[in-house]
Amino acid sequence: MGQRTAQTEKALSVDELANRREWWSVAQKTRSKRLDYLRKGVWKKGAIGGNYAPGIKIDLTLPQLFTEKWQEQEGEPIMLQKAHAIAHVLDNIPIFITDRSQIMGYIGSAPHQIVWHWQGISMVNEEIYNEEGIIPEPEEESLEILATLNDYWGGRTAVDKLARILDPEDAVKFMSGAIGWGTPTSAATYSTKDFTYIFKGFEALLAEIEERMEETEQKLQGNPSPQLLPLYDKLPRWEAMQIVLEASIRYAKRYARLARTLAEHFESDPTRKEELLRIAETCERVPAKPPRNLQESLQFDHFVQVLARYETFEGAWPHRPDYVHGPYYDKDVNQEKRLTKEEALDLVGEHLIRTYEVGIFAPKWAREGLQGITGTWVWTMGGVKPDGSDACNDMTIAYMQAARLVRVSNPTFGFRWHPKVKDEVLRECFECIRHGLGYPSMRNDPVLVANTVHWYGHPVEEARTWVHQACMSPCPTTKYGCQPMRMASATANCAKMIEYALHDGYDPVVNMQMGPKTGDPRQFKDFEEFFGAWVKQMEWLRNILVRTVNLGRVKDPEFFGRPFLSAIYERAVETGTDACDPSNGERGNAWVTGFTWVENADSLAAIKKFVYDEKKYTMDQLMEALNANWVGYEEMRLDFVKNAPKWGNDDDYVDDLMVRCLREVSRHAKENKCPSNNNWPLLPENVSGNIHYANLVGALPNGRRLGDALYDGGISPGPGLDKKGPTAVLKSCGKFDHVTDGRAFLLNQRLSPTQLSGEKGYQLWKAYMKTWADLGLDHVQFNMVDDATLRAAQKDPEKYQEVIVRVAGYSAHFVDISRKTQDNIIQRTVQGLG
Amino acid sequence: MATCKDCKSFFAREDDRSQGDCVMRVVDPRQAYYQATPVETEKDASKCSSFQKK
Amino acid sequence: MKCTECAFEAPIGKFRYLYNARIDSSISMRQCPQCEQWLAVDELLGEAQDAVHPGEAPWGKSAGIEGLAGDSQG
Ligand code: SF4
Repeated sequence: MGQRTAQTEKALSVDELANRREWWSVAQKTRSKRLDYLRKGVWKKGAIGGNYAPGIKIDLTLPQLFTEKWQEQEGEPIMLQKAHAIAHVLDNIPIFITDRSQIMGYIGSAPHQIVWHWQGISMVNEEIYNEEGIIPEPEEESLEILATLNDYWGGRTAVDKLARILDPEDAVKFMSGAIGWGTPTSAATYSTKDFTYIFKGFEALLAEIEERMEETEQKLQGNPSPQLLPLYDKLPRWEAMQIVLEASIRYAKRYARLARTLAEHFESDPTRKEELLRIAETCERVPAKPPRNLQESLQFDHFVQVLARYETFEGAWPHRPDYVHGPYYDKDVNQEKRLTKEEALDLVGEHLIRTYEVGIFAPKWAREGLQGITGTWVWTMGGVKPDGSDACNDMTIAYMQAARLVRVSNPTFGFRWHPKVKDEVLRECFECIRHGLGYPSMRNDPVLVANTVHWYGHPVEEARTWVHQACMSPCPTTKYGCQPMRMASATANCAKMIEYALHDGYDPVVNMQMGPKTGDPRQFKDFEEFFGAWVKQMEWLRNILVRTVNLGRVKDPEFFGRPFLSAIYERAVETGTDACDPSNGERGNAWVTGFTWVENADSLAAIKKFVYDEKKYTMDQLMEALNANWVGYEEMRLDFVKNAPKWGNDDDYVDDLMVRCLREVSRHAKENKCPSNNNWPLLPENVSGNIHYANLVGALPNGRRLGDALYDGGISPGPGLDKKGPTAVLKSCGKFDHVTDGRAFLLNQRLSPTQLSGEKGYQLWKAYMKTWADLGLDHVQFNMVDDATLRAAQKDPEKYQEVIVRVAGYSAHFVDISRKTQDNIIQRTVQGLG
Repeated sequence: MATCKDCKSFFAREDDRSQGDCVMRVVDPRQAYYQATPVETEKDASKCSSFQKK
Repeated sequence: MKCTECAFEAPIGKFRYLYNARIDSSISMRQCPQCEQWLAVDELLGEAQDAVHPGEAPWGKSAGIEGLAGDSQG
């Protein structure tokens, strides 16, 4: 890709380019001029190898506007204070309309700016001084503004407040960075959104709030009683919701006004003039009133997403846009013929671009764990309707086609496969994968619906509305199903379970006693005793994370407050509560994300075989080698790598251990309870946590050294260790129950683009997918870019800017991720199918 | 004293004539766009380097 | 161990361990403390083999049909 001059590229036909798998060039040749301009005009917001691209600056207008109003409103209940501050931002932040664009809304004052959300953690706020290149010019002035803001917010941020009530020992362990990832606060979060409710229009929501307030005020005039007292707290919350909803309508109308001004005073091209007037009409209509057509529904949707991100850092994007917008597409394109397919594709493509361009500042450690992107924006496609019938529609196809035209690495798609999916839709999925996008990931809908019912008791009709809450976990988009806050701050660095079992709960990397003292393994008499230690460490690790998140969650309305989110949450509007208040009826949908999980099974298998069964090595020898980080023990290390059974080869010796571990965790998952008194199942996956934790996990019996990347998936075999082919991988993964043994399981597979070319390639893949479905796996995703291209991209990144790869639960441009992550991806086994 | 209302970039709001939008054309290294910043009609324009008389 | 680029000599531990992109290979990446060059090191022999530049993979091709076996089970 990109090896030749633009001139020779032009000379090649689309078919020739496709034969060469030069997909970026294919996209450039086939997309409209508008999409070409918009796609090339986007500023890349994901960090490149951990650093932001040149020219990217943080937006200081937003925190300044917010803080000045916030200070004025000091003393008010937090939700009301915040509502005033957000409204002030929405009324005053500069807005812009990019040439040729049709969908409005951005978080920040200009396209090259990223939002710095300052209400989360003071410690992270301080880090901004060390960030090179992103402080706006004039730098000295900006640094002064930053210092003033940091002086004010120091000690006042959500996590600062939470830290004051955490158990100090828990806090130190949590903050060590060794065991968990993320902070339990709405300051770094994501939320499910129920568009059947939201699309009533903000005026309707305002009317509902007004009604509730009147009702409550009347009640308060009645006989005084203790039951009436909590009502006093509800009134300011409803008032806060009103303030943000009204401000949101005004914000949209600012775009309408600008579009009209441009049409009347600046634009000479009649076509663009007409477009601008349509934009004006659209932004006057939504989000105030329900959408009537595709442009209005997409615009409404995008405003909601942008507004939510003005309120806080929403790092994921739970959404099912084909389902939400499908009826409008059908009306415009098929029934009323108001839009041609091409015009609709322009809107859909721009929807992807507008999402891709959203940028939010993240500290370096978070950028390392999520290389190349701003957040895990996995949009859900396909699936079934609440009655169980096929939900795929023309919009499903339009999104897949648009994805190939604009080739963004974020959002990506997760496709809800089920037996009734039509071949034409499945082909679209495959084309995206074949075009090297790394998405959609394939999700087994019947399995995941059953799983959602099993773990939380969501009614099946509600479970069927599920969206990817982040990368992997399904969440219903219903009144009591929606999850308003990131609970996956309970993200466990699971390799620590085995590491602590080996070291009596001591962490040899961060040098502190972390887990319980489960004994010196040299003294253990058999494998069962060792496994018992592992179970205790596993339980401890989950407990510390879960209790911290539970506390963060119940305190969130007091420490953070989300007026906008509350205003679009039916149950919050109904009860006058913060959306994050668990007492308002949320059913619960929490899970523990399990990073670096598979090392446990491979390490346990190696210990069982070599130390206990065959007695080839003593535990003392093993501990010596591990303590030396395998240095000087290379032969022994290779023995542990090559001759101990490895997960993913259909070998019962290790597979049984994997199943045993999962069942222990699932038992414990039902003993842990979230604030809604529901379960905490495990969800093994990595984003790029396997790279982030490489320097935080010591040597392990699977043969890794401190510094080596951990395995990439949630249940993917170690790169290059799956020697028996793709069916063996599937068989191993099919040995446990994807409904009852955990929440979801991420499986990365690499396929050969050469082998899967043409119709034969599709048929091979389809047969593979049948085996996958028959075995009851819940997830699989593919990389389909060959070694040669990836190595060439390492050599000459400039020429390969647009090569996309699947990292883990997300895709990224290959050149934006670190060399270590790149090598980790290249070393994944390329599975030959058939 | 010149104020924003005397400037070419100023567009008054119909619902509130004391306020308006300062509309600027921006061409950055990647894309071109129009940016609107809310301003007060009577804001002192003497220190604004972008002021252009109507 | 001796750096293949600048001939700096020191015990292997002085060369910063970077990572082993392929767990089943004895080749790892280390960095010379003097010239900062990334080196492919054979951990079995304790020898630096060569400098590693972008796009180079001293541990060979990926497993599977890029290099090794295909599907042995169907
Ligand atoms: S701020 Fe400056 S450029 Fe904008 S309207 Fe006022 S005087 Fe004109």
